[in-house]
Amino acid sequence: MTKKQIGVYRADASSCNGCDIEIVATLASRFRLDELGVKVVTQPEEARILLVTGGGNMKIDNDLKKVYERIQPPRIVVAIGSCAISWEAFAEGYSIVGPADETIPVDVYVCGCPPRPQAIVAALAKMLGKEIEEKEDFWRPPPHFRGKPDLDPEKCTACGACEQTCPTRAIEISEKDGKRTVKYLFGKCSYCRTCEIVCPDDAVKLTQEYLLVFKDRKAATFSADIELLRCPGCTSFSISPRQIKRVLNTIEENVKDYAEFLEDIEKAMGLCLNCRRKIQNVKKAKRLLFQLRAKALEKLQ
Amino acid sequence: MVETVKIGPYHPALFEPQVFNVTVKDGKITNVDMELGYVHRSIEKLMTTKTYNQNVFLAERVCGICSAAHSTVYCETVEKVFDVQVHDRARYIRTVFFELERLESHYLILALLSHSLHEEEYFTKILSDRELLMDLFEHTTGNRVHYAVNKIGGVRVDLTPTTIQKMKKVTNKLRKLSNHILQAFGDNGAFTPKIKGKGILTKEKALVLGAVGPTLRGSRVKSDTRKDDPYAAYGDLSFEIPVGSDGDVYDRHLVRAKETIESINIIEQALDSLPEGPIQEEVGAPLETQALGRVEAPRGELIYFIKSDGTDVPERVKIRTPSFANNYSYTEIFLNQELTDFQLILESTDPCFSCTDRLTIVDQETGKKKLLLFSALDGRETK
Repeated sequence: MTKKQIGVYRADASSCNGCDIEIVATLASRFRLDELGVKVVTQPEEARILLVTGGGNMKIDNDLKKVYERIQPPRIVVAIGSCAISWEAFAEGYSIVGPADETIPVDVYVCGCPPRPQAIVAALAKMLGKEIEEKEDFWRPPPHFRGKPDLDPEKCTACGACEQTCPTRAIEISEKDGKRTVKYLFGKCSYCRTCEIVCPDDAVKLTQEYLLVFKDRKAATFSADIELLRCPGCTSFSISPRQIKRVLNTIEENVKDYAEFLEDIEKAMGLCLNCRRKIQNVKKAKRLLFQLRAKALEKLQ
Repeated sequence: MVETVKIGPYHPALFEPQVFNVTVKDGKITNVDMELGYVHRSIEKLMTTKTYNQNVFLAERVCGICSAAHSTVYCETVEKVFDVQVHDRARYIRTVFFELERLESHYLILALLSHSLHEEEYFTKILSDRELLMDLFEHTTGNRVHYAVNKIGGVRVDLTPTTIQKMKKVTNKLRKLSNHILQAFGDNGAFTPKIKGKGILTKEKALVLGAVGPTLRGSRVKSDTRKDDPYAAYGDLSFEIPVGSDGDVYDRHLVRAKETIESINIIEQALDSLPEGPIQEEVGAPLETQALGRVEAPRGELIYFIKSDGTDVPERVKIRTPSFANNYSYTEIFLNQELTDFQLILESTDPCFSCTDRLTIVDQETGKKKLLLFSALDGRETK
């Protein structure tokens, strides 16, 4: 190793190997790592940059700290992949501690499961203040690449289908002041495309954006607010009007016999959970619908 | 002079964190003790907290190099629990990705082998040609490592005529690479003199110690789950099982190199005879039953056991990974070898510790090991 070269040390803290083999893949000549003046080293003493994959479990935690201390300051620590950032699907495991930034200070987070070698190289270049020419075809992601998830707030109805099916709980839906907020955590996402497949409104799309580099773990999010309707029964907030519209459209298209009940269904769907729980049988439901209709008539007059 | 050397958890010879306590007498290894747990991620427990569909992605993430193997065997086992028959086209697509992954895995270990033998020319050649394969994965599935191809009841990715053309182009190029690698295993090849006769595992010992995969086949045992208990579309395809002769480092790697050619044959056959039809089957509710599935992962036989209680969450998932079975052979292959050959011999079994790691409860004061009920792991211990 020459003096000008910057050493990079890879520390595997209980990762699944996915990120590790991608770091090995950056050694392939086409990524031109030597142009950056970067060399992957086998001793922490020779390194200035530490790449952490995985967030650490009970046993590795102490050794990760020791490796960090063996690196000569000023050190740069890069957390590679969703596990190092938030432990992804493993977050609730009994043997898990961390994520990595609870054990050692982390400077840069690279999201992805795993990040493409292109993203790792680009992140290294960015940190070192250098530029790498991305002229060849392989730098661009293919059309079906599973990159950063993107939500269309004009289409989303905040129905919660994505939150329910997400294998890593990277989608959080919360409710406040008549608005439902859908929040995507890129650092927790496994980029598996389940949300895109289950979304009934085609609101979620996995884009081709692959370079997700953040200085702050908490900034790696995206959120959208969806307006809610007031419950006609008790005036608390219940459901988004677009969701009702979508359900009515589906019924109209598929079950033509129900067309005459559409108005009733629309009213019943507008009810909040508390009001729905009060309904115990068909008789009560009919009575409630009748009351609602009377209320609406009153409003008209 | 007897001394004990501690290798790990972070050591240049190890790809993953793990500790080996190696006893050395006069420069020769007399005993190897392994300390597991550095990559333990409580996966079996986590699987009982997520739904069957969510667990497909958790199974993929058991290991980054066997993600297609893990998700295939998981899905096939769950399909027994759900009593679903998968369409023919889906079975063939599963086979294609399974073999592509075997190629990727074997090329990686062969690249690491040439790196540790300081054959940098082979290292760069294999690594850069392997990128063809990775680009293919990215193009067809959207990710280079975790393919997310399998789902319960079929596959998520269909193969269009253009992707089939692309795959055939790549396999043609890889056939040249495999032949190039095989030259290095020839009589005067670059690898042969450096690895011949090292780390011998005899046929008898391999069977007694329960080795699997290329480690077993290197020792002259013709055993392959793809032939013995066909899954996916392997029953319809014809292929050979390469075996070694002496059971040394050379034979284990030679088996892998020969298997890459067989994998290319399987992929080309599967693409040529790809049946038409749907790729996904409707899935009902799980039955109250238990099922066992096994496949031949790149490292050997991989077994999943799933017990269902009729809910959407499995009651118990048990995973027996190939590297775990191969660990016992370490008691044999390191004996009377030079300490300098440690990395070479360890890599010859292609270990994957992220699959292997297990948990032991040890009382810190007395040092005694303790048995724990599975339900105790989340604090709801039952009698």
